[in-house]
Amino acid sequence: MLGGFELYLIPGLPLLAFLLIAAFALQPKAERAAPAFIISALLGSLLLSIQAFASTAGKRPFSISLPWLSVGSITLHVGVLLDHLSGVMLIVVSAVSLLVQIYSIGYMRGEIGYGRYFAYMSLFCGSMLGLVISDNLVQTYIFWELVGICSYLLIGFWYRRPAAAAAAKKAFVVTRFGDLGFLTALLILSFQRHQVFGFDQLQHLVTAGRIAPAVVTAVALLIFSGAVGKSAQFPLHIWLPDAMEGPTPVSALIHAATMVAAGVYLVARAYFFFTPPALFVVALIGALTCFLAATMGVAENDIKRVLAYSTISQLGLMMLGLGVGGYAAGVFHLTTHAFFKALLFLTAGSVIHAVHANNIWQMGGLGRRMPITALTCLVGALALAGVFPLSGFWSKDEILTATWFSRLPGHSLFFLAALGGVVLTAFYMFRLWFVTFTGEPRTDEAAHAHESPLVMTLPLLAFALLAAVAGGLKARVPWTAVGFAELLHLEGQREVVSPVVIALSLLAAFAGIGLAWAAYRAGLVSSAAFNSRFPAVYQLLKNAWYFNRGWELFATRVVIAGSSLAAWFDRHIVNGMVDGVAWLSGWASRRLRVTQTGQLQFYALVLIAGLIAGLVVVFGREESLLSLLVGGP
Amino acid sequence: MTGLPPLPIHGYLTVSALLFAIGLFGVFVKRNAIAVLLGVELMLNAANLNFVAFWRYGGAARMEGQVFAVVVITVAAAEVAIALAIVLNIYRRFKTVNVDQINLMKG
Amino acid sequence: MIADLLRALHTGSFWYPLAFFFFAAGVLLPALLVVLSRNLLHCALWLLPCLASVAGLFLLLGAELLAAIQILVYCGGIVVLILFAIMLTRGLGDPDVRAINQQLLWGFAGAAAFAGLVLHMLSRESWPAVAAVNRGDITGRLADALLSPYLLAFELSSVILLVAMVGAVVIARPERE
Repeated sequence: MLGGFELYLIPGLPLLAFLLIAAFALQPKAERAAPAFIISALLGSLLLSIQAFASTAGKRPFSISLPWLSVGSITLHVGVLLDHLSGVMLIVVSAVSLLVQIYSIGYMRGEIGYGRYFAYMSLFCGSMLGLVISDNLVQTYIFWELVGICSYLLIGFWYRRPAAAAAAKKAFVVTRFGDLGFLTALLILSFQRHQVFGFDQLQHLVTAGRIAPAVVTAVALLIFSGAVGKSAQFPLHIWLPDAMEGPTPVSALIHAATMVAAGVYLVARAYFFFTPPALFVVALIGALTCFLAATMGVAENDIKRVLAYSTISQLGLMMLGLGVGGYAAGVFHLTTHAFFKALLFLTAGSVIHAVHANNIWQMGGLGRRMPITALTCLVGALALAGVFPLSGFWSKDEILTATWFSRLPGHSLFFLAALGGVVLTAFYMFRLWFVTFTGEPRTDEAAHAHESPLVMTLPLLAFALLAAVAGGLKARVPWTAVGFAELLHLEGQREVVSPVVIALSLLAAFAGIGLAWAAYRAGLVSSAAFNSRFPAVYQLLKNAWYFNRGWELFATRVVIAGSSLAAWFDRHIVNGMVDGVAWLSGWASRRLRVTQTGQLQFYALVLIAGLIAGLVVVFGREESLLSLLVGGP
Repeated sequence: MTGLPPLPIHGYLTVSALLFAIGLFGVFVKRNAIAVLLGVELMLNAANLNFVAFWRYGGAARMEGQVFAVVVITVAAAEVAIALAIVLNIYRRFKTVNVDQINLMKG
Repeated sequence: MIADLLRALHTGSFWYPLAFFFFAAGVLLPALLVVLSRNLLHCALWLLPCLASVAGLFLLLGAELLAAIQILVYCGGIVVLILFAIMLTRGLGDPDVRAINQQLLWGFAGAAAFAGLVLHMLSRESWPAVAAVNRGDITGRLADALLSPYLLAFELSSVILLVAMVGAVVIARPERE
């Protein structure tokens, strides 16, 4: 078992790298050294994470908590919690981060702000690891906000581009919406009789029934709202496609594998709060998001935006898994998704780097010219579609099984939605793959593309390997019987294997792939014909179900209406009170001014009148003047 | 002298009170500034009368009563001098010595 | 002889009250005339018998030096000063102008209320009196008191007089052209 200090190092090393890069490696001359800091830090974090996880086998969760800040009756703590969940997540985050940083060396070469990029990335890695290893909700919230800031900084990395700056702002504001719910949950908890925020303490309180069920559900839903924002679930998903303005490694790391998964991680961490009503909401939103986002991905032509919608959809699938009670399934899919989605983004980056364009219709025939990229991308696509025996198959199948067998109301609808999502996912993914890598080049750039350098292709190969074999986390003996649940040290989770579900999911995947092949490779089905026969559907998908327009209307109509009301209140009532006081002074002084006649004798009269009144009051009650004056009997 | 005068002190105190009231009336009611000053002088004398009366009826052993009266007369003299100088100044400035016509402090 | 007269005045129980009423009337009636006369000069002049009667009352009370000071300073100095001021500020005034201002009613009420209140308070007291013991001349004792322990008051009053003198000159000076 590790002592506490090593655990603090896991987020600490990247944060230290951030400070060092910021101090020494921001100047153009020194920039080239920047990646060295972060890569060595991440290596250390990865090794420590592996060691930490290994040490959790068969042992109780380990945590250290130090009191940090006391305000009144509330004490905030700083601490680390190491259990199977955080152990797994630590390894995933460190491994993916490390590979992406190596890739970035090649991708960002020659960019202005090279050092700044690695500085922000280091800050992000440290914050994400800190989030994972936090042992209480407040600390989690702090790191939550930190990763949000890093996301903002990195989306808007090329800040001179208006689109990038706008996307960064949008991401921050939309996730803030969700974070408001998270903060409210913290506030509610602070008003409970036991003002604790630590995960194990809260778990004890909830399972012992010390908190009212309504409050527990409310807290769960509010925490979930934070996850909805961060993990781009419906209806706060609008920021993720725009976030593709950032450099591709950023999209790969933050907006595919780690930060957006933080929402899923948070739900898993706070799972004990989720009463059946809350779980229903989670499953509902997850299923809805999964299906809707998949439909939106079908109409996209920007390679990164397709992957963005795919991420949203897959995150919805994870939430669905958690919602129907498949805790292990959801987390398992988080792990496999991190690998193959990062892989897909990095291959997209490789392609973009070669062709200098994002639109798939400006590519074509790249399979011959970039074989490694094409092959690894194929592996990733197959994993995403859920084809046996790649990792995606195993995790997706677990979620589908859990949904099929769950007792949640409406679970059959959720299953259908998820299945529809599988079909569409396979379809749009292979649409992308066929259009990009097969056929003839559509532009000169595509014709002259060449494979990316080794520093970029090595991570691709590494990810491809992980994407392929991570399914083994489930299948490896002696965990076969219980699968990932054993990994997460959850007792009592019955492992169900349903051939029906397996068959359905494989069928769905192949159906999607087949349709894509028919439309885009073999030319048997024409998308143009489809679009002209169903123009409404086409418009709906192309405009992503008009969600952006909806939010825009909300902001301009509803929010501004409310603000106008508040502004009126401020102007007339609050200001009115202040002005009223001033007016009152003026009015009173105008009334009182009559006493200031300027006539000396009037003043003398008033003086004596006051004196007489005073004498009457003071001496009126006394018998003897002398006794009052002298004071004696 | 010895003993007490064959008159109770109330006599002197009454005279003093009435004199003070008359002076007060003059201060309230007269228009000419110098007339107001005359009223003030009457009040001062009333006070002096009080002091000396109490001195006598208090045993005439301690001289504070008379000392105070002396000082009052002295200060009254000084005060009249200054007051009249001010009246002259006002007369030059406002061409009038009527107190109720000098109301620059109004409002 | 005057000392005998004074001694008789002090002790005789007939002459004393008579003298008192004489002087009391001499104070109050001229005082009324001071405030009620229309002619300002008359007002000032009526002050003389009033102040002189006050000096008389001082004599009855045995404060001989004080009576002398009263006559010298008040009647001889202050009234003269007032007469000068009256002469300096007349001439351009309108003879038909009113002598009493708007406050007649309230002024009278105020003064009457004050007098009534004070007299009422006085009448309820018993004023325990202490008999005097003959200890020698009053004037000498007053002089002793003024020179010590009230030396400071004495010196300060002379300073006040100096300051007032200078101040009056400064205030009354015509403005420089």
